Amino acid sequence: MKNLIVNFIILVIFVVTLGVGYLIADQYIGRAPEQPINFSHKIHAGTNEIPCMYCHIYAERAKVSGAPNVQRCMGCHKIIKTESPEIKKLAGYWERQEPIPWIKVHNLPDHVDFTHKRHIKAGRKCQECHGPVETMDRVTRVASLKMGWCLKCHAKYNVKNGRECWTCHI
Amino acid sequence: MSGILTKLKDKLQSYRVPGYRTKFEYKWTMVVDLDRCNGCEACVVACYAENNLPVVGKRDCDISRRFSWIRIERYIEGEYPDVKVKFIPIMCQHCDAAPCELGCPVYATYHNQDGLNVQVYNRCVGTFTCATYCTYDVRRFNWFTYKWDSPLEQQLNPDVTVREMGVMEKCTFCIQRIRVAKDTAKDEGRKVTDGDVQTACMQSCPTDAITFGDLNDPNSKVSKLAKSPRRYRLLEELNTDPSVIYLKRVMDEKKGHGSSHG
Repeated sequence: MKNLIVNFIILVIFVVTLGVGYLIADQYIGRAPEQPINFSHKIHAGTNEIPCMYCHIYAERAKVSGAPNVQRCMGCHKIIKTESPEIKKLAGYWERQEPIPWIKVHNLPDHVDFTHKRHIKAGRKCQECHGPVETMDRVTRVASLKMGWCLKCHAKYNVKNGRECWTCHI
Repeated sequence: MSGILTKLKDKLQSYRVPGYRTKFEYKWTMVVDLDRCNGCEACVVACYAENNLPVVGKRDCDISRRFSWIRIERYIEGEYPDVKVKFIPIMCQHCDAAPCELGCPVYATYHNQDGLNVQVYNRCVGTFTCATYCTYDVRRFNWFTYKWDSPLEQQLNPDVTVREMGVMEKCTFCIQRIRVAKDTAKDEGRKVTDGDVQTACMQSCPTDAITFGDLNDPNSKVSKLAKSPRRYRLLEELNTDPSVIYLKRVMDEKKGHGSSHG
């Protein structure tokens, strides 16, 4: 009898762990960490209509899209809105010659080999994965970035070798 | 319904026939000229650097947990002063009819569209079956999550996954470099040509003993070398149909230990 109870408890713990794990994995949707500088995509990409690849220059020629360097920010903000407290923070990083410690919102595990370049070259829009960034004050994750989510799109657009493991996992 | 089933069956059957890879776009092949190999192990070092291999230490090597994807086997013939030493670098042979693929219960190792034998790390559950089935003893197992002491973790290759505990791994023919070559070729709207892909071992070999290329292309270096009369493949009688071709070492018969097999 005692053994049976112990076994039952172990089973319950197992199921609860699995369930909690599953829920936590989905909680990444809507993740919006507070950034070191209160940068607003709404003002930049929305109101002022700066194209994505003016700042994220590597998206069309490399694996990563790349956060812009401080010099690119300062290129405009030496002149524009220099009195704002957030811009003063930026100027501080520029004077101290430090990179801004942005917090990654869309983070993939190490065993996924995702390239921005191929997706941009195939004509995909940034918004298809990242959501309507131009309306967000703080960038929020809209996609789960799970494998099933990737494959849904690969099946929809009939990607060559799109369902092969080695296409993304090397 | 039955039509689909027969189609599926035919397709599966075609994957079972050795040599089915010729119908694919590329057939990656490595040719190792043993006449040129002097056993310097530069390829081993290059492989460690390129593919994020951990250095496991002396104790683990002693209990057969060594980690090199490519190893140099030494064969010593004769007695002093008439000694002959032969070296054979052995890496994953990327067999067409790979024994390791039959064993995997979770389909973590399989043949990809280029005919490479691929290992999918995030699928692997570490049953060790593939390593048991492997004819050439080239599969390596992560017994622990190996750590790199600072600042060595900064030299890790970002294109290659850092593997964790419980995962089997092996030579990938530097698939990350093949992918980069294909990526550039796609941008320029052409096929991958000879010399676009260099594996790490080939690049570091001081005597150019290792050649890598596409056997489907009749003008590539590899397909010319593959016609050599010195050609042989390891344990060919087992019908694993390996992709690595060795060119036999020719030794001087007069001075040698009396045999011409080299």
